[in-house]
Amino acid sequence: MRNKRFKNASLLLVVIFMLGTLFACSNSSNSNNNQGADNGGSNTPSANNGVSEGGSGFEQVTLKVLHNWNGSTGSDVDMTAVEQVIKEKTGVTIEWEYTKGSEVEKVNAIFATQDLPDIYTGPAWGGELDGIIKAAKEDQLVDLSDKLDKYPNLAKGIAEENVPPALYEKAFNAYGGKQFLLYQNHPAAPEDAMDWLYGFYVRKDIAEKVGVDPQSIVTKEDLYGFLKKIKDAGLEENGLPVIPLGGFHNGWAVGIGSSMFYGAGYIDKGDGTLENSFFTKAYEDYTLYYRKMIEEGLLDPEAFTQTDPIANEKIKQGRIAVLAAHYPAILDASKDFVKAHPGSDYVPIGPLERAGAEPNRPVDLAIQGNNVTVIPKKSKNVDAALRLLDYLASDEGFMLVRYGVQGVHWDMENGKPVAKQEWFDKFTEDTTGKAKKNEGISIGLESMSGQDRIKSAAGGNIWDDQARIAAMDNARKILRPNGISVISAYNPGDVIVKSEQWEMLKPSMDKIGDVWKEAIYAKSDEAALKIINDLRGQMEKTGYKEAMAFVNENLKGKEVATLQMPN
Amino acid sequence: MNQSALWKRILRHKLFYLFMLPGIVWFFLFSYVPLYGVQVAFRDFMFSGGFTGSPWAGLKYFRQFFDYYQSYEIIRNTIVISLMKLLIGFSLPIILAVLLNEVRNVKFKKTVQTLSYLPHFVSWIVVVTLMQRLLTPYGGPVNDLLAAMGMQEPIQFLNNTSWFYQIIIGSEIWKSIGWNSIIYMAAIAGIDQQQYEAAKIDGANRFRQIWHVTLPGIRNIAVILFILSAGSLMSAGYEQLLLLNGPATAAIGSVLDVHVITSGISGGRLSYAAAVGLFQSVIAFILILTVNRIARKVSDVSLF
Repeated sequence: MRNKRFKNASLLLVVIFMLGTLFACSNSSNSNNNQGADNGGSNTPSANNGVSEGGSGFEQVTLKVLHNWNGSTGSDVDMTAVEQVIKEKTGVTIEWEYTKGSEVEKVNAIFATQDLPDIYTGPAWGGELDGIIKAAKEDQLVDLSDKLDKYPNLAKGIAEENVPPALYEKAFNAYGGKQFLLYQNHPAAPEDAMDWLYGFYVRKDIAEKVGVDPQSIVTKEDLYGFLKKIKDAGLEENGLPVIPLGGFHNGWAVGIGSSMFYGAGYIDKGDGTLENSFFTKAYEDYTLYYRKMIEEGLLDPEAFTQTDPIANEKIKQGRIAVLAAHYPAILDASKDFVKAHPGSDYVPIGPLERAGAEPNRPVDLAIQGNNVTVIPKKSKNVDAALRLLDYLASDEGFMLVRYGVQGVHWDMENGKPVAKQEWFDKFTEDTTGKAKKNEGISIGLESMSGQDRIKSAAGGNIWDDQARIAAMDNARKILRPNGISVISAYNPGDVIVKSEQWEMLKPSMDKIGDVWKEAIYAKSDEAALKIINDLRGQMEKTGYKEAMAFVNENLKGKEVATLQMPN
Repeated sequence: MNQSALWKRILRHKLFYLFMLPGIVWFFLFSYVPLYGVQVAFRDFMFSGGFTGSPWAGLKYFRQFFDYYQSYEIIRNTIVISLMKLLIGFSLPIILAVLLNEVRNVKFKKTVQTLSYLPHFVSWIVVVTLMQRLLTPYGGPVNDLLAAMGMQEPIQFLNNTSWFYQIIIGSEIWKSIGWNSIIYMAAIAGIDQQQYEAAKIDGANRFRQIWHVTLPGIRNIAVILFILSAGSLMSAGYEQLLLLNGPATAAIGSVLDVHVITSGISGGRLSYAAAVGLFQSVIAFILILTVNRIARKVSDVSLF
């Protein structure tokens, strides 16, 4: 009897285990999406897609939005004040998905696995954009060409005059009259152009301690000498050594010193033809310069392998003397430390020399939109998605997602938006940014809000505190003594992708960044150069020369961007 | 044996077969069903065509891999790392199991067993984060200890080719030694105690008992596990290498598993990645067949 009970119990356990295994294998979270997927073949909204009529007159629908920006996060509440307004205005409730990790991997993964959101929004450059263009060409996205007349705010964003020419050719006007991509955050007017003020910034107190005026550092030799002085001073913070030069995740953006060696990704060889700067002597000098900094302990050896939390921890502990990145990121990361240690704020170094540029030349910047948005064909409700995006791209939507709810977070005074003091104080006090997110600001909606018109239509960011505005203005005065010049010339990088060698060449070209990092850690200069030369050989083997001949032929007589600073 | 006799036997041992069923289902779902995707290695994968609708490309992606300037280096690194893992990682669990078997204090034995199993359940991301914290030259406890012992300059353990293999093998052993010793502990527990008593009567000391009774008792299971491990010679462990390999160690740390992931998911070259993965699997299969054959000739123990 006992034996039988034991057998039965065993049998039960096996069955439970098996059922558990099978349930674990299934993906119940997709159950909602399947409905949309079934309707996905056509671009028209389905009547049977979880839609119900709401009080606003619009059909009520929940759409999943993939915000493909690594590290972006949402609120801690189910429905923020801003999202509530959006729901009332459009009938759309947003279900967010944020990318944790590589954006390129995410793009490739969602289309390869067909685990698609209802709306995708992400970077308008690099492998992310390549993935979206590939998806468009392979009929994965909703063609918007016959719908845009009903959505003027969206149509405006992708009008030819509002997209840089090379990008327009590559990503917007590349599908035989069809239109798949929407474009965001391109400056609507010159005053909206965002200069991120990339550069090297030093902690003011450290510069004073080592007795160097940050503005006296101009050449690469000056910068090296300055970092060496910091290292030799043997400074400590929290009982740990101060690292002379550091950056953020995966080395962002310590490599920006390249502009002291060569002007841009492609340079003029001197005979009127172009060459990828990777093939130049200047690139070798740039690599060996950084190798020397690693070897001598001037550049954080963990810079290229660290995550953002670890990088931020170092900055919050005051352990990085010089940071290379854009200024807003540096201001955000150092906020806590500066608050606790007045006088330790990061100030710009330089302006540093620029290879190939006259000293009085304005800084050449590529200022354009940073975001594209698409609607996958499997989106469960295309019309609702377009309604949402069009509302976000309207002036009302633009102000809503950046400033919050009018009357609650801000008021209109004399035709200008003004922040309510209680919210201004609350947001300024909160160094984590969570307070803003919990109201619905900076949760990703701003990526989908049409052209950037923060100054021309929205009076300037009402949440910027005076100290931050002053710091940015001061950095701008120092780093841009001759102002800026927005690049309108052709970028050879946009042309080479059209060469027939590109498919074979791309994997080698994609390796340039990795190979540079590998070379700067090499045991000797010779080893570093060998690493670079090996990749040069592979690039030539995979059609680099032929591809460059194509580029030179196509750009003959056209103005080409051979000077460009990071932005 | 006729069919009805076979079914009778299966029915008689139905409970055992039922216990095997989840494993069979698991293998079927995750090892056999995905095999249809192998064809991607011979196609130009397109989002719209998927696995079956994309155009055929022949051996294009295999050729691309062998034309790739780092393919030799990647294969070499994979074999070197996995060979080291195999040689060191294979023998240590046997030694641990034998040593634990000799411990007479049950509480101590259980404590050591539990502590040695625990790392198996810790994910690589946690292990690597711990290592980064412990081994950093900026105030890491290991370097602090070395400094207290008189070391002048802190050691850069991670991102350093001089320490790379030690870090990789050490962390792999720490993570897997306890878990891998379980099967040997079970095999040792199955040895007939009368053999030990007979050895004692013959005058064998503890070391002789281990040599003449324990080790022969687990020989068969060790050979089987060795044959299975041989299949992983082309696979150095992608999670660990993805996290521990950096630009400084790329020359000796770039392996096939990571190359597959980076070229496929990051580079969007899914057909190429599938081709490299297939190459890896085919070599692994050949290795298993070879080692199995050698084992059968040398020791009469084999998988099939």
